[in-house]
Amino acid sequence: MTVALSTLPGEAAPVAERPVLEVEELVVEYASRSRTTRAVDGVSLAIAPGEIVGLAGESGCGKSTLGNAIMQVLRPPARIASGRVLFHGEDLVRLSGEQLRRHRWRNVSMVFQSAMNALNPVLRVSDQFVDMMRSHERVSKRDAVGRAGELLELVGIDRRRLRAYPHELSGGMRQRVIIAMALALEPELVIMDEPTTALDVVVQREILQQVRELQRARGFAVLFVTHDLSLLLELAHRVAIMYAGEIVEVAPAAALRDDARHPYTAGLLSSFPPLTGPVERLSGIPGSPPDLAAPPSGCRFHPRCPHCVPGDTALHRRQVAERPVLREVAPGHLVACHLVEEGL
Amino acid sequence: MSQLQPTIELAPATTPAARTRLRIPGWPALLLRNPKSRAGIVLVGFMVIVALIAPLISVSNPTDFNLLAARQAPSWHHLFGTTDQGSDIFSQVVLGARRSLVLGALAGLLATVLATTLGVLAAYSGGVVDEAVNFLTNVFLVIPTIPLLVVISAYLKSRSMGTMIVVLALTLWAFEARILRGQALSLKNRDFVLAAKVAGESTWRIVFGEIMPNMISRIAAAFVLVFYVSLLVDAGLEFLGLGDTTHVSWGMTLYWAQTNSAVLQGEWWPFLFPGLALVITVLGLTLILAGIDEVSNPRLRDEVRRRGFLRSLVLPVRRAA
Amino acid sequence: MSVLEVRGLSKEFGAGGVLHRARLHAVDDVSFSLRPGRITALAGESGSGKSTVARLIARLYDPTAGKVLFGGHVVGRRRRDALRYRSQVQLIFQDPFGSLNPAKTVRHHLARPLRIHGLASRRDVRARVEELLETVGLVPPAAIADKYPHELSGGQRQRVAIARALAVEPRVVVADEPISMLDVSIRVGILNLMRDLKERGIAFLYVTHDLASARYVADDILVMYAGQVVEQGPVDQVLAGPLHPYTRLLIESVPDGHGGLAPIELRRGAAAAAVDPAPGCRFVDRCPLAIGVCRERTPALVEARPGQAARCHVTAPAPTNREDIHAQPAA
Ligand SMILES: Nc1ncnc2c1ncn2[C@@H]1O[C@H](COP(=O)(O)OP(=O)(O)OP(=O)(O)O)[C@@H](O)[C@H]1O
Ligand SMILES: Nc1ncnc2c1ncn2[C@@H]1O[C@H](COP(=O)(O)OP(=O)(O)O)[C@@H](O)[C@H]1O
Ligand code: SF4
Ligand code: SF4
Ligand SMILES: [Mg+2]
Ligand SMILES: [Mg+2]
Repeated sequence: MTVALSTLPGEAAPVAERPVLEVEELVVEYASRSRTTRAVDGVSLAIAPGEIVGLAGESGCGKSTLGNAIMQVLRPPARIASGRVLFHGEDLVRLSGEQLRRHRWRNVSMVFQSAMNALNPVLRVSDQFVDMMRSHERVSKRDAVGRAGELLELVGIDRRRLRAYPHELSGGMRQRVIIAMALALEPELVIMDEPTTALDVVVQREILQQVRELQRARGFAVLFVTHDLSLLLELAHRVAIMYAGEIVEVAPAAALRDDARHPYTAGLLSSFPPLTGPVERLSGIPGSPPDLAAPPSGCRFHPRCPHCVPGDTALHRRQVAERPVLREVAPGHLVACHLVEEGL
Repeated sequence: MSQLQPTIELAPATTPAARTRLRIPGWPALLLRNPKSRAGIVLVGFMVIVALIAPLISVSNPTDFNLLAARQAPSWHHLFGTTDQGSDIFSQVVLGARRSLVLGALAGLLATVLATTLGVLAAYSGGVVDEAVNFLTNVFLVIPTIPLLVVISAYLKSRSMGTMIVVLALTLWAFEARILRGQALSLKNRDFVLAAKVAGESTWRIVFGEIMPNMISRIAAAFVLVFYVSLLVDAGLEFLGLGDTTHVSWGMTLYWAQTNSAVLQGEWWPFLFPGLALVITVLGLTLILAGIDEVSNPRLRDEVRRRGFLRSLVLPVRRAA
Repeated sequence: MSVLEVRGLSKEFGAGGVLHRARLHAVDDVSFSLRPGRITALAGESGSGKSTVARLIARLYDPTAGKVLFGGHVVGRRRRDALRYRSQVQLIFQDPFGSLNPAKTVRHHLARPLRIHGLASRRDVRARVEELLETVGLVPPAAIADKYPHELSGGQRQRVAIARALAVEPRVVVADEPISMLDVSIRVGILNLMRDLKERGIAFLYVTHDLASARYVADDILVMYAGQVVEQGPVDQVLAGPLHPYTRLLIESVPDGHGGLAPIELRRGAAAAAVDPAPGCRFVDRCPLAIGVCRERTPALVEARPGQAARCHVTAPAPTNREDIHAQPAA
């Protein structure tokens, strides 16, 4: 078929620029009286301007929590225990409420998981756009409606649907409205948390295509969260794999597809039956992700890892006792795994 | 039967997917854990014990005349004082607890059984059954309870407790039936009900075995609510003089106190003690009701809060501008 | 040969306002048969009528027209006939969080079908329940049986739902998007389970919108669009050489993990549901191949290749209509 996105002519993944966003050693906890769940545990990630970064992993691995932390919309019992979230070098964790309010949506916006249900059912689409824009800048109602119309057309919805109420739109259309709203103030970074998971394949493809075109035209960066790895391999420049609150592998999409190193990534990749080629029995990943209030010792994947063979070997001792750290195995390709490290 | 390869092991008790849900065996325990309902259960439980041991702690006949001992203030001899007839108010209050509790409980039970059966059956069957029940509920809903009771109490020869219970239950069930029907309607099209149908369950078993166990907290709330209203209405009617004058009950004690202008004589005890008993019971029931609400709704409340929260993010609040 | 056959099945729902009583043709003249030991996939976008077909087969809806034949016979309306049918034909629901009763233990869900159909005596129920749990890979069965649904993960719940369907030892199982609400890593397990179960001679109808998983488990495929079957045939043959333009669109939309995001034609025209459909092909507003006749005459399902049929004037023309193909292309 076609060549991978990241290698399309004139479309090389943006590199060597100062990142829009840097996450440094971020730790986010959900604390209750009896237990503390570390949903994000020491994550570092940088996103360059105009880059699409994918974030994949099973349910409950902390993807949404990381997205919410970047957007600074965590609510108790969640709190940032340590680490920094830098937007153009400015630490968002330290911003005051009012500064944050001004920063959000203007600089970083977000499409929430199950956002389809986030539209206010009693307001027309146009009113929701106007409310949102006027809370961030001085703009007349007429101008705001005009801009809203343009935005809707950008995402492939007839401008006349501005007068519709959310229930009059299909799920896919509502999702597009939400995406249009996220783009309204021309943010530099858009976080999309499973924006298409609830939709069927054709609609999903239509929306991805539009996101991709808009991104190319406007140059914003995207953090795209999903558990559908094959989708990310098509859409993203770079993909980060998250497991049990940690990033275990980061690589350019093409490198991840052809040369996934972490056993967890390999497991995820082998969870999708292919549409072409021979039909072989897939194995998937046995077991389920750990309880993050009491994660396994050493490498968090070791209870499910096919390469963790109990025995009196140095490798096994490291796997159960020592937390692997991300190391570069190829340019831009980082993996946190003892096995990979020893094989180098 | 051959065994297929297990690919999922038993997950730890807290899988990410686990949502807290009220379930039957746990909910009495949950009510005891909730501070409000626990306090309520203690108060009502206290009244129940008093009612049970009433014959042991009261004098043989609480309406005995004893003009020598009339209008006495509380003392060691008469803990709650005496009436203008010299009857022991303590005995009247503890024996009165029996009538109030039995009346409330039976009215509550009758109304709840009626409301649950008709409401759930109507919701599940739909069609003609639903319309008939709906019509019936609407008829009973427009009947004003208290005026009807006033009329009945005034005209009926036997104003026995049984009559009161039936009339109270008949006038109060409709309100509950409507609520329960609503809840059953929302459960009726849930997949697990359809799944039971596919398994071959009969209508009867689907209604009582599958749908109803999910409504226990709401049904319990209906019972407590009718209990509480019956108690108050009964006492109120008696206080207004529409009760059976031969009875011992809190309402009658209050009624006699009022007719004999106890307050004018500076006597507070014939009012205070039965009133206090009434307040304790009603407060206890209210607390239980509040507890049931809290225990059965946290998930609902969380959901509302979450949705509101999401919305407030997509549409940063207007007034902030 | 076939254990369950669906003939000319249609289901209409009321739609629209009070004045204009429109009819929504959720399922329109669908015919197919299910054979023992084979998995038939039913694919299509959301709202195309897949679940309605599933529920018609499970007798949760009464068809507007057409019939469901089991073992060659129409199923009677008496409770005894219905019960017998239910002991042979089972449905697995899409949402594992909704299809188990939150107030009941796993044991209840598996024991009830056994009791209803008299398949196990009171004494044997316990052993049989545990056996079923083991069959679907839920171990240790004794511990799982006493859990409540909220104590299980999504994948475990779906396995319980499958075990419930298997309890009656059915000959037909209809699975309505059984993996779409599950996490990726769990999906393969459920798909493998289905593959293993079909070896026991169960006839499966696997409802999905995920073509890759259809190819992974199924032998045959039916593609639905706006209530009609628009293409059917062996799954490998259909996916390798789709006839109907909608099947092609579906295939192109699947992210295959090979980069590129091959662009697809963006949607024009109305949604999939057919409200008071006019004659003509229902896909015409989105179809890149449409010609004049597409708006006038409803295409019939034509076997254009051995075993593979499609409902399209252009790619599967009816033998008698061949001259129509040369009509003017639509505007
Ligand atoms: N409000 C909360 N209180 C306590 N723990 C929470 C809360 N929200 C999430 N968690 C826990 O934090 C961890 C990460 O959750 P998160 O929602 O980030 O997962 P995710 O990777 O986005 O999963 P999914 O793919 O299902 O959306 C999980 O273990 C979850 O149980
Ligand atoms: N009970 C119902 N009442 C009215 N319309 C329905 C009902 N069930 C389904 N429909 C409609 O029928 C069409 C097909 O629905 P469905 O079979 O659920 O599609 P799918 O499973 O393919 O997503 C949709 O337009 C849907 O809105
Ligand atoms: S460190 Fe060991 S246990 Fe962990 S992923 Fe690598 S090989 Fe598996
Ligand atoms: S019949 Fe015509 S409109 Fe319909 S799918 Fe075929 S070519 Fe397209
Ligand atoms: Mg999430
Ligand atoms: Mg469906």
